[in-house]
Amino acid sequence: MKKYQLGEFEEIVLLTVGVLYDEAYGVAIKDEIENRLGRKVSVGALQSALRRMEKKTFLESREGDPTEQRGGKPKRYFRITAFGKKALEYSKDVRMELWESIPDVALDVKFS
Amino acid sequence: MIKNIADRLLRWYCHPDFYPDISGDLEEIFLRNKERGVSASNWRHLIQVILLFRPSLVKDLGQYSLIKDTGMLKNYFKISMRNLWRHKSYTAINVIGLAVGLAAFLLINQYVHYERSYDSFHKDAGQLYRLTTDMIVDGQLKTRDAMSFNPSGKVITDEFPEVESYALTYNNGQLSLRKGESLIRESYVKMVDEHFINLFGFDVIAGDPSTMLKEPYSIVLTRKRAQFYFGDENPIGKTLKVYSGFDREFEVTGVIEDVPINTHYKFDLLVSISSIQQRLDDEGWNAFNYYTYLRLAPGTDTEELEKRLIPVKNTHMGEENRLFFNLQPIQDIHLYSDMTYEPEATGSARSVRFLEIISIFILVIAWVNYVNLSTAKAVDRAKEIGLRKVIGARKKQIRGQFLFESFLINLMGAILALLIAELAVPFFNQLVGDNILTSLYNNTSFLSRLGLFLLVGTLVSGFYPAIFLSNFGITTVLKGKFSTSKRGVILRKSLVVAQFSASLILIGGTFIVSRQVDFMRSADLGMNTDKVLGFRNPRFVGDDYEAQRAEMRSFQNALLANPVIQQVATTNSLPGGASNDIGSTSGQSRIIGVTEDIEATTYIHQVDDQYFDLLEVKFVAGRNFNKNLKSDSAAVIVNEAFMKRYEIQISDDLLNENLQFGSDPENSKYHIIGIIKDANRGSLKNSVEPTCYFYDPVLSRSIVKLSGANIKESIDHIEDSWSEFFPNSVLESSFIDERFDRLYADDKKFGAVFGAFSGFALLVAVLGLFGLSSFMATQRTKEVGVRKVLGASIPHIVMLFYREFVTLILISLVIGLPIIFFSMNGWLSNYAYRIDFPWIIVVLALGVIVVSAFLTVGYQVWRVAVLNPAKTLKYE
Repeated sequence: MKKYQLGEFEEIVLLTVGVLYDEAYGVAIKDEIENRLGRKVSVGALQSALRRMEKKTFLESREGDPTEQRGGKPKRYFRITAFGKKALEYSKDVRMELWESIPDVALDVKFS
Repeated sequence: MIKNIADRLLRWYCHPDFYPDISGDLEEIFLRNKERGVSASNWRHLIQVILLFRPSLVKDLGQYSLIKDTGMLKNYFKISMRNLWRHKSYTAINVIGLAVGLAAFLLINQYVHYERSYDSFHKDAGQLYRLTTDMIVDGQLKTRDAMSFNPSGKVITDEFPEVESYALTYNNGQLSLRKGESLIRESYVKMVDEHFINLFGFDVIAGDPSTMLKEPYSIVLTRKRAQFYFGDENPIGKTLKVYSGFDREFEVTGVIEDVPINTHYKFDLLVSISSIQQRLDDEGWNAFNYYTYLRLAPGTDTEELEKRLIPVKNTHMGEENRLFFNLQPIQDIHLYSDMTYEPEATGSARSVRFLEIISIFILVIAWVNYVNLSTAKAVDRAKEIGLRKVIGARKKQIRGQFLFESFLINLMGAILALLIAELAVPFFNQLVGDNILTSLYNNTSFLSRLGLFLLVGTLVSGFYPAIFLSNFGITTVLKGKFSTSKRGVILRKSLVVAQFSASLILIGGTFIVSRQVDFMRSADLGMNTDKVLGFRNPRFVGDDYEAQRAEMRSFQNALLANPVIQQVATTNSLPGGASNDIGSTSGQSRIIGVTEDIEATTYIHQVDDQYFDLLEVKFVAGRNFNKNLKSDSAAVIVNEAFMKRYEIQISDDLLNENLQFGSDPENSKYHIIGIIKDANRGSLKNSVEPTCYFYDPVLSRSIVKLSGANIKESIDHIEDSWSEFFPNSVLESSFIDERFDRLYADDKKFGAVFGAFSGFALLVAVLGLFGLSSFMATQRTKEVGVRKVLGASIPHIVMLFYREFVTLILISLVIGLPIIFFSMNGWLSNYAYRIDFPWIIVVLALGVIVVSAFLTVGYQVWRVAVLNPAKTLKYE
C-alpha cells in the first residue's frame, strides 16, 4: 500500500495545518511546530514539505491579502484536503494497529 | 547588505510560483527577530535562504531543457543513426579520420608525458638538485660540466643549513661479476655513499637504508638483479665475486625495489663508494669526476645560494680558479641539460615540443574534416531542418540535435581510436625505443584523456556545424532556393588550405630529417672504419704494469698470428662514442714561442703507434709515433682543430715546437711531432674537438682491422684468443660502424616518429578531401551532365575540378614554405655538419601532396563524369 506516502515530518506538518485550521500559513505553522514539539524548523524544510504535499494533493492552498508587515507580500494559507485527511487517518490506523499488535510482555519487559 | 544578497539569491533560484509567499514568510520572521533583538538576524536570514535551496522549490531548468526532453533525445538518436547509416561512406570517413587523429594524438601525448616525467617519481623531487661545475672565464660561461669535486657535497651540506643532505656518486659503468660458472657483465653500476638511498627515497626491500652502503665492498641489488643472482634465497649477507679491477668478494647488504626507467641516473647495482676511498682522498679538490646530489630545504632561492657558494669555492680551490658551483634541478636534467659528461644521453625538450605540435596538427586536421564535411552536407539536411522549424523546433533544439550527432560520430571515433592505439602500442614502443606503454585498456591516464578529448572534440567539431545548420531560414529552405552560402564555401576552402599547409610542413620536415640523418651516416669521418672491430681490454689488478703490458702484447701477437687479422691498435677510447669518453683539460695552453695562452677545453686522447695507421687517418704535417724512439714518450700529435684555435697557418714549421699546458714548467716537455687531418671521433652533431694525442703502447681498449675474408672466422679467432688469455673477463666487441650508427639512433628515432605521424596527418587530410570532393562532385552531377551533352570530354571535366584545388594547393604552399624553412633551418643549425636547406625536398613534398590530392579528387570526379548524361538528367 504505497497509496499514502507520508514521511514523519510531513505528517507533523499536515497535522499542524489541521490544528491551525484557517490560519495555517508558513510562519504560523513554523511557530506552532516549534512551540508544540520544541524543535527547530527551517523555512526551507517546511516549505519544501508543504509544496511536496500540495503536489501530492494532501494540501490545497489559497492566497491571502498582501500585508504591510510582510513587505507587501501575500500570505499563502494551506488547508487539508479530503485526500490528505484520508492519508492522516490511514497513517494513524497503521500506527494503532501496530500498537495493538505489541504483546503486553514486550512492553512489560522493557520496564522491568 | 547581507539581507539584500540573501533576498536576491532567493529570487534567483526560487520557483516563481512560490517566491512571493516564501519571501513574505521570511520577511515576517526577519522583522520579528529584529524586533525581539535576536542577534545576527541578518545571518539567520541568509542561512534560512540557503536552507531553502531544495529541488522541490528551485526554478525549472528552462522550459525547453534538453535534459527533460528524453523523448526528443530518442528522436535525435533515431534520426542521427538513420542519417549516419544512409551515408555510410561519409560516416566512415568521418569516423576513421577522427579515430586516426585521436589515436595519433593520444599516443604522442603519452610519449610527451613520459619524457616530461623524468625523475619526478623521487620523494620531493622538486627539492633535489645536482651540484654541477661551470667554467666561467671573464664573466663568460664557457663549459658546463655535470660532474663535481668529491668533497664538495659534504662541505656545502655542513656549511649551509638550507642544504639538508647530499649524496656522492660515481658512475662506474660496467662491472664483471661471477654467477656460478659464468661471467656476467653488468652495465649499469653506480658507486654511491650511504646517503644515496634516503636522499632519493628509493623503496628498500631488505637492509638498513642508512648504513647498507657505508662499508667498503658492499653491494646493493635491485629486486630483479637479486632474483637473477640468488633466485628466491635471501641475498643479504651473501657475497658476489667482482672483477674489473677489484677481483674480490663484495657483500650483499641490501635489496631495493626496481627503479623506474624514467630517470637520468639508471642503475641495476649499487656499490659503496667507500670501496674507492683511496682514490677519493687522492683526488680531493683536484678533479671533478663525481655526480653530487643535494636535497635543499623547500623554497630555497638557488640563485642566491649559488652566489653564497662562491666563497666556499674560493676557500678550497683559490680565488683565481675559474670553476664555479652550479645547482641544477634534477627534473630538468633529462630534457634541458646540455652539459658535458652527462651519465646518459639526454633527451631534447625541443623535439618533444615538436612532436607535441605535430600531434595537435593531426587532431585539428581530423576535426577540420568533420566541420568541412558536415557543413558541406548541409544541403542534404536543409529540408529536415526547415520542417523541424515549421513544426516548432527552436534553434537551441536544432543545435542540440547536431551536437548530439557530432557526439555520436566522435564516440564511434573514440572507440575505434582505442582499438587503433592498442594495436599500435608495440610499433609505438619500437619507434620511441623504450617500453613505455603496456596495454591501454587499463591505462587510466590514457582512458581519461580519451574521454576528455571525446568531449572536447564533440564541442570543437560539432559547434560550428550546429550553429551553421540551425541558422537556416525556414522559407528559403522550404522554397527549395537553398544553396550553400558563399561564406561557408570560403570557410571550407580555408580549412582545406590549412590542412594542406600542415601536411606540407610535416612531409617536408620528414624528408629533411631523414636526409640529415643519411648525410651524417654516410659523411666522410676523416678515417676509414670499415671492418674495424673494437672492444674493451680486461682490467688488471695490481701495480705490476710491466707484466700487464707483456700480457697484452702477447695477446696482440696471438691475434695477429692468424692472417684474418690485419692490424691491432690500442687506444683509451673507441671511435663512435660520446665526446666525454676521454678526458679533457680546461686550463690554458699555448705553443711556446709561437702563440699566446688561450683558455679552452682540449681533449686528451691516448693512442699507440698503430692507431692512426689502422684507421687511415691522414697527416697534414709531421709523422706518426714511433715505438722505437725513446723520445716519443714526450711527443704529442695534435689535430687541425687544435691548431685552428690559435689562428695560425698549419705548416711544417710548427713541428718540434713545445706545448705548454697551464703554468707548471713540468707540463712543457711535450713537443709536436705531427698534425693530423680532422677526424670525427663522435657524432657529427658536434664539430671535431681540439685534441692532443699522446703515446702509450698499452691502453684500455683495442681496435682490430679484419682482412674481411671471413668475418665469422675472424671474430671466432678473437674470442678464442681472448678466453685463452683472460678467462675472468667478458669480451664485448662491436664494429666501429655500428657504434657510429648508434650515435644517430636518436635522430633516426626522431625521423621515424616524425615520418609516421606526418603519414597519419596526410592520411587524415586525404580522407577529408576524399569526402569533400565526392560530395562536391555529386552536387554538380547535373552540371556535369549538361556539360557532357554540350560536348565536354571527361578529361576536360576533371580539369575543371582540378583548377579549384590547384589554387588551394598554391596558397598552402605560400603559407607552408616559410614555416618549413624557418623551423627546419633552426633544427639543422643544431648540427655542426649539416646539409644545406634542400629546396628540392620541398618540391618533392609538394609533389606528394599534389599527387594524393589529384588522385582523390580525380577519382571522385571521374566517377561522376563517366555517368551517362541521359541518366543524370532524366529525373527532371
